[in-house]
Amino acid sequence: MQYILDYIGAAILGSALLLIILSATDTAAESQSVYNGDALVQEILVQTAFLLEGELRNMGVGVPEGQPTILWADTSTIRFLYDINRDAVPDTVEYYTGTIGDFASTQNDLDRPLFRSVNNGAPLTVGSVTVFRFRYITQLGENLATPVSSTRLSEIHSVEITMEVQNPYAVNRSAEQIAAGERTALYSSSLWQQTRLASQNNRR
Amino acid sequence: MSNHTLLTMGAFILLTSILLGFYNLLGSTGTDITEAQDLILATTMATSYIELAQGLSFDSVTDTSSLAIGNPSILTRAHKLGPEPSEGDDSIAVFNDFDDFDGLTVTRQATGGNKRFTTNFAVYYVNPDDVDSVSTSETFVKRMDLKIWRSFPSPSMDESIDTLRVSFILGYFHFD
Repeated sequence: MQYILDYIGAAILGSALLLIILSATDTAAESQSVYNGDALVQEILVQTAFLLEGELRNMGVGVPEGQPTILWADTSTIRFLYDINRDAVPDTVEYYTGTIGDFASTQNDLDRPLFRSVNNGAPLTVGSVTVFRFRYITQLGENLATPVSSTRLSEIHSVEITMEVQNPYAVNRSAEQIAAGERTALYSSSLWQQTRLASQNNRR
Repeated sequence: MSNHTLLTMGAFILLTSILLGFYNLLGSTGTDITEAQDLILATTMATSYIELAQGLSFDSVTDTSSLAIGNPSILTRAHKLGPEPSEGDDSIAVFNDFDDFDGLTVTRQATGGNKRFTTNFAVYYVNPDDVDSVSTSETFVKRMDLKIWRSFPSPSMDESIDTLRVSFILGYFHFD
């Protein structure tokens, strides 16, 4: 009789252990996927922001005094001059976002490429963003309406960037987890915002 | 209860302890990711303030005079760094020189969320040969120390809040 009780007890505890291990493995895999996504997104965001900030800080380097530095300033596009290779010839650098259709192959329905183009050459994709917004501020703190008119481009004193990067791959959620109006999938996201880049070279 | 049952239960307790550690580890990874996002936001704010500060004059004296200064002793006294109420320096928007930030504490909400970050500023004259050492007399180099931390929401039980510390050096220069 004692043996039978032992067997039954061991079977119950063994089953419980098996269930716990299965559940833990499942949780670990899911968490690993989410955390990896979060870390990846943060890394992409920081790299993109550093590239953009570094280049915006150089805005106006090597541009003769009296010549405009910013050529075009819109909500998600900026075109400016600076001498990239220090050959005394200012280069035109442009940052702009593509369309959602450019990244139609990804699961995320909001991501779009961020392009960088030099001297109107072939654009290079330098990042993937879901939000990418510039604000242009004058010396007196006025927010300029976009696109900034050509007569007011020289008034731009600082540029503010708001940028969000989301993981192109979704973390799936069950139907019960989705509230009304929410997207059907959850994406890791990271936000970079409100960095006012006031290039010294642009303040002339 | 037989030895077998006791052994099985012992194994069960052991596994449960291991699982608890495992879930704790998973939870702490999540916390680390959240903290990293907070630090990214804090970094953006620090950069914003630094960008703003480096666009200001080195000193209130150099803001009002276009003459080159050869002797640092005519700059604002080391113990008087900070906003000048007489110049209406009551907010960042009207600050006109670098050291106006000294002693300032600002709390700002991050856009798109309810997180608030508090920043504390301190500005000193530093030794030009060793910018880590604070100078009690006037020099041509000032250092701004920023401390930024998330002030809202308060940290949860398993969370610790890091304070981001950033320093920025500004030297006096003059174009003839």
